[in-house]
Amino acid sequence: MTAIGDILHLLVTANLWQSVLALSALLLLPALGGVISERSGVVNIAMEGMMLTGAFFAVYADLHLHNPWLAALLAMLAGALMALIHAVVSIRFRADQIVSGIAINIFAAGLTVFLIGRLYGLQDVGHIQNSEALPQIVIPGLSSIPFIGQVLFNQNVIVYVALIILVLTHVVLFRTRLGLRVRSVGEHPQAADTAGINVFRLRYGAVIISGILSGLAGAYLAIGISNTFVPNMTDGRGYIALAAMIFGKWTPFGAFIACLIFGLGEAIYYNNSIIHASPYLLSALPYILTLVVIAGLVGRSIPPAADGLPYVPGEE
Amino acid sequence: MGTGAVVARPRPRLPGIVRLARGLAMPVGSVLFAFVAGGVIVFVTGANPLGAYQGLLCGGAGLACAQGENSALQISNSLVYAIPLVMCGVAVALPFRAGLFNIGAEGQLLAGTITATAIGVHFAAWPAVILLPVVLVGGAVAGALWAGIAGVLKATTGAHEVVTTIMLNYAAQWLLRFLIIGGPLQPPGEFSASAPIGGNARLPTFLPNDSSVIVFGLPATVYRVHTGLIIAVLAAAVFAILLWRTSLGYEIRALGQSQKAARYAGVSVRRTVIVTMLIAGAFAGLAGAAQIAGVDHQMTDKYFSDTTGFDAIAVALLGLGSAVGIVLAALLFGALHSGGAVMQSDAGISSNLVLVLQALILFSIAANFLGAILRQIPGLGRRPSAPAPTAPGAALVTEASTALPEEGEPAT
Repeated sequence: MTAIGDILHLLVTANLWQSVLALSALLLLPALGGVISERSGVVNIAMEGMMLTGAFFAVYADLHLHNPWLAALLAMLAGALMALIHAVVSIRFRADQIVSGIAINIFAAGLTVFLIGRLYGLQDVGHIQNSEALPQIVIPGLSSIPFIGQVLFNQNVIVYVALIILVLTHVVLFRTRLGLRVRSVGEHPQAADTAGINVFRLRYGAVIISGILSGLAGAYLAIGISNTFVPNMTDGRGYIALAAMIFGKWTPFGAFIACLIFGLGEAIYYNNSIIHASPYLLSALPYILTLVVIAGLVGRSIPPAADGLPYVPGEE
Repeated sequence: MGTGAVVARPRPRLPGIVRLARGLAMPVGSVLFAFVAGGVIVFVTGANPLGAYQGLLCGGAGLACAQGENSALQISNSLVYAIPLVMCGVAVALPFRAGLFNIGAEGQLLAGTITATAIGVHFAAWPAVILLPVVLVGGAVAGALWAGIAGVLKATTGAHEVVTTIMLNYAAQWLLRFLIIGGPLQPPGEFSASAPIGGNARLPTFLPNDSSVIVFGLPATVYRVHTGLIIAVLAAAVFAILLWRTSLGYEIRALGQSQKAARYAGVSVRRTVIVTMLIAGAFAGLAGAAQIAGVDHQMTDKYFSDTTGFDAIAVALLGLGSAVGIVLAALLFGALHSGGAVMQSDAGISSNLVLVLQALILFSIAANFLGAILRQIPGLGRRPSAPAPTAPGAALVTEASTALPEEGEPAT
């Protein structure tokens, strides 16, 4: 029974919850991107690829420019460009959005390793100095509050950014005209079009934002956490983000709760020397949990009505 | 909507040659597009596209080899890669016909490899006549069950098969890692590999397993092409017969055309969805089993990054969901995979260029020629989409409509 006691003990340490939040933020950014894109009616399973592209360009830029902020900006740009491909292919050409998403993910996996070969040959990509990584920000005063201070106010800068974007996404989607339009475009584009809303522009915007957020998550992973790039380093996180989006029923805060649950699982693994359950089995948990949720055991999860349907003006 | 009507409308019968040319235009065009765009990427990054493609051609088809590679060996390698691609291609194409998108062939293949390995190691002492079929059937059953989860969820709760199969892919990947890294399938003294399966569990190669026999200038044992090739061709044939000559095939196609119509025709939608996924999974699981029994003989960490099940999506789409098309597309992708290795060693260009080409082929099929796919594969028709000719004009119409005053927000 000591094992259970040890886990309970682990659950009340600030260290654990600090890494839960840090790991959740990594999933939260692409999950929010997914929420925005799918709310506008474009299915997006390409967060994995956009994240990976962002991670690569963040490292490449940081190694050359020695500036993590510029590197993060370029990572967002790279993510946005990948998203633009997805947007053009699925909105302009009305391609199957799932095929396009798969193609983005394959493209990113291939392109990043191909570019490593072209740019670095057989050498390692190289390590990012701590001084040139996205910094940990300790908020003076607040961080000295016991427990909460360490969990909430001693985090990587991107964690704060992710939390701000979370609130912003919620407010914009559910409290503004723009958000209402995005959602109407995702639920009933014909009606939205009739009301004078530009369906295509909103969908392009939503997909590109999902690329920007995923690219930023890639930068956080590569130059905030790992400080290097290795092939396929996202390792399915974009898909876990997709799972979080579904788990959270296409709402920002729902997705955040799912990210926290998935982050908790990961953090327990990193922080424990007690549980002898295989880390690999633990890694399978988010996917299995999501299957359970989708199966309707924890309430139905229903996507926006026009999710995945290319919009064709004049067709009902 | 109206897609069902568009797809179902009988088209005038064209002369055979014209139909063949039309059928080939889309896939051939997509491949050409991919090679041109891929060439541009290679060129822009400062390498020589022709050198890259020479390497691909050599490694894929044994032609134009710069370093005196053995042509027969390259062709053998391409075939070895093509074998699981045919079976997984079928595993994707069959559900397509029913309007289901199985992107879980990878997970189903892994379920097959795991089961085949477990059986092949555990019952190594059994005679080959019994063990080999049990290994193959075991792999197929495991794949079927893995896909069946998605099928049952789709049929009972309406859970989208794309999402469930993605989750099942990753669940299978992590299960595999668990099993062979410190798990029950890792033998003592090995790391991230299973024990090899018994000799009786192995599919024979076409050439004698004897290194003193010289074939095309190399010992016979280096040619790994195995009798799984026959299984692959049979799988494609079974797929065609099942689809066009059985009542189940009729039900699958009816379901793909229109769920409503299928229901009126007396097709049980739920049953057909589940059965389709089971059969598809069986093909993918069989691919995994054949891969273990025919080539790899054990699970290793290379399966962590296996992409056969994802490549199969491109195979099924490029092959237009037909048996012959799938075999041809699998040969192409098998050649690309095999060619990638030679390109990397000869031209110094990462074999990952092959993934880039594959993605470009997918974009091209999905974007430029979706209309053609919709006509060829009714399965994709569930997504309403306009007939291609109206596409360019239509976009402009909506652009213009923004000029109207923004009034009358729709109530939610």
